[in-house]
Amino acid sequence: MASVAELKAAIDVALEQIGDGQSAVQAAGEKLAEAQQTLAGALEGSGHETVEAAQASLTQASQELEECLAATLVAVEQAQLYVSTL
Amino acid sequence: MSIIEDVGAQVRAAAEELPIAPLALALEKFGQATERLRWVRQESANPMGVPELSAATEHAESAGHALRVAQEQLSAYLAAIGLAPDGGTAPRPAGDRQVHDAPRGVPPAAGEQSPPEQDDNPVLRRWWAVRVAELTGGREGAPDTQDEKIGDSRELLHRVVGGVRAGDRDRLHRELRAAHADVGLGLAAISPPLLRECAGELLGHPPRADDLPRLRRELDGRVRDLLPGLPPQALETLLTRVCRMPPPRRDNAEQPHAADPAVTAGVATAVLLARLGKDLPRDDGQDDRGGEPAREKRRETERDAWDRTTRDRADRERAARERTAQGRPPVPPPPPAAPAARRRDSDG
Repeated sequence: MASVAELKAAIDVALEQIGDGQSAVQAAGEKLAEAQQTLAGALEGSGHETVEAAQASLTQASQELEECLAATLVAVEQAQLYVSTL
Repeated sequence: MSIIEDVGAQVRAAAEELPIAPLALALEKFGQATERLRWVRQESANPMGVPELSAATEHAESAGHALRVAQEQLSAYLAAIGLAPDGGTAPRPAGDRQVHDAPRGVPPAAGEQSPPEQDDNPVLRRWWAVRVAELTGGREGAPDTQDEKIGDSRELLHRVVGGVRAGDRDRLHRELRAAHADVGLGLAAISPPLLRECAGELLGHPPRADDLPRLRRELDGRVRDLLPGLPPQALETLLTRVCRMPPPRRDNAEQPHAADPAVTAGVATAVLLARLGKDLPRDDGQDDRGGEPAREKRRETERDAWDRTTRDRADRERAARERTAQGRPPVPPPPPAAPAARRRDSDG
């Protein structure tokens, strides 16, 4: 049977891992934004359907990253709330 | 570099730098956290964020999929506007009597003979060697024969780096001239990312627009010394690309020779490596023979890595569920590769 100290330690480690993942997602978001900016400049005026499709895919990726981060924030909040009740 | 090539270069650079690797790292971390929280949940009825973390993982996976789709779409666009995805355009022979090198490793068909004039004058036979001779100051150098040992662009870059480091211009010229045209052109694909990396190391941050004068100062003199016949705009175009800037405006309609961006990129990379006191990393297993096969291979590797990460995550989650069902603690994750891992004291 686990102790409260073990539970807290395990949750702390999980929170650190989530934090690492959040940092990676944020870094991905920044790189993605740079890529979108570069592409917007280079492909300005293009009406090619694959360009529009690619930009739509990148926008979708950006939204997914935002939702990913938002979900992790809730996860962290819930885990921290739980720790505070232990 | 033509305008369309510049557009292609920007599109290509942006597509290459889409953040697939950071997302794979995020997935790995979320997987580890989920596994650990699942074990904690075994001890409590409180969900403590596990469903949200699973949702985050799904969003990250969807983002990764969208990025890969975007890469494919951008690659299709480059092909649609007439650019090979690796940035190479059809080589433009400098004269009617110059020809592209024959495909490597393909013996001539029975009864097939070279036109007699190609055998008469080897200097006129190979446009690549002719252009390299022009760039390197018109030196006659060694006989104009191909060196079959230069099997791919990376090997050629190794030799260029060696020549620059040794300060042996003749050797550099010889190595460049002896390369097969396809191998030489491949320098344009493999060198700029390395050059940007080296420039970042020199500057202490990724190169940007206001770093252009510094890079120009670092490279211009030495590159001109090694390539006295190089048009000034060739290096300027390369450096603006490295700094993610718009290409310099052209004053005339003359297009650069196909060999120029490749030779410039290879030599500039070698100069910067020498400036940093570094050597070219040994072969990482990538086949740089031709640009697109290598690029496609790298994409496949990334896809495989992504699939492997997803599959590993599924395996870990399945194992975690089983361990949780048995009331056992999660398997501690392997020690991190980075020495500065923050959780070392508490993890495991």
